[in-house]
Amino acid sequence: MTKPIAELIFLSEIHYFHEHTWANVEGDLVKVGITDFAQDSLGNIIFVELPNVGETYSKGDEFGQAESAKTVSALYMPVSGEIVGVNSELEEAPQHVNEDPYGAGWMIVVKPSNLDEIKELLSKEDYLNQIK
Amino acid sequence: MGFTIYTATGCTRCKIIKQLMNEKGIAFEEQDMKAAGKEAFQKFYAANRKAIFRGPDGVEFPLLHDGITIRQGIGACVAYLLSGTKLDGFFSVGTLHKEWVDGIHVSGGNPEYTTEFLAALQYIKKGNNMKLQLDTNGLNSAILEQILAQDLADVVIMNVLGPKELYSQLAGEAVNITEVEKSLSLVTKFPEYKLQTTVAPVVREDGEISYLTTKEIGATAKFIAEATGSMKNPYLVKLFKPKECKDERFKTIEAMPANALLSYRTAARTHQVFVEIEKN
Repeated sequence: MTKPIAELIFLSEIHYFHEHTWANVEGDLVKVGITDFAQDSLGNIIFVELPNVGETYSKGDEFGQAESAKTVSALYMPVSGEIVGVNSELEEAPQHVNEDPYGAGWMIVVKPSNLDEIKELLSKEDYLNQIK
Repeated sequence: MGFTIYTATGCTRCKIIKQLMNEKGIAFEEQDMKAAGKEAFQKFYAANRKAIFRGPDGVEFPLLHDGITIRQGIGACVAYLLSGTKLDGFFSVGTLHKEWVDGIHVSGGNPEYTTEFLAALQYIKKGNNMKLQLDTNGLNSAILEQILAQDLADVVIMNVLGPKELYSQLAGEAVNITEVEKSLSLVTKFPEYKLQTTVAPVVREDGEISYLTTKEIGATAKFIAEATGSMKNPYLVKLFKPKECKDERFKTIEAMPANALLSYRTAARTHQVFVEIEKN
């Protein structure tokens, strides 16, 4: 059962991509995961396929997929860059994405090729307007 | 060797398989992915996801695991529990829901085990009030005849692979065309039936690969008319999907645009007036 949007959590300090991933700038790196809305729509996540460190992707590229018993959902890069870290704990515990999408459920760390792309992402308000 | 069955709360098919295992006195462990078995299912899925079928509505349940092989869906599970591996090929995972069961391939298994196959259909249909949608490509017509006699199918879909001359090549084995003719005449006697042909790639005599031509589809429609004695069969001409093809030779062939089917429809209509083409 999906929750009403009012019951979902959206942080103010992070950036949102319209394909339901979030980006959080940490120094000169960007941490990426999926939003509370995305994890709630997917239902119980049973597998997360993530890229390898060293691979590079452009903004909007598919970098992996999240699978629940009901659906498979592609994961999209909010910014262009090189993968410098992946959350390998999700292999054993994909439920972290459901339980804590902005924390333990993070997916990748990107070394962005153009940090200006962050400015093109949505704010919490813009993203909320999109999913309402 | 222990059995584990992965189920979903409220899944009728899962209950049918559990019931059958209980009837046969087979011990098993149940993991309900919506309840206490959530974590166990997650681990099982992560370890076996390449072997687990996902339909348009996600993972199909139940999944029966003996530690080595995974049997998925009601058909494959019933077949395995009743007859072991004898019925391999007759069943795959279906995608229909509620009381409908599909993924039953009359031409897919070994006809030596016809009795066992019919018993499995009997168990699903009569024993559990399900409706069956079977498919055939014309082979094993004697089985189809018995299915008709015993009223074991609600819908039969026949994949008419192509014109007579190319049938063996399209089937990938030597086909006795009278088998196909017999199946065609039988299929029209079921409560509901549909004939279909995929515009498939063919390896030509010179080694070149090309799609069935409009002329060949016209010849297929004519073949259907002659074997069924009717020009008014429900008949669908389908697009070949290279990406879904298991044959390595055809994986890289360029997909045909959907509007190319229009000329195929024209060619088939001369002999099958109700021909339709697949919408993309």
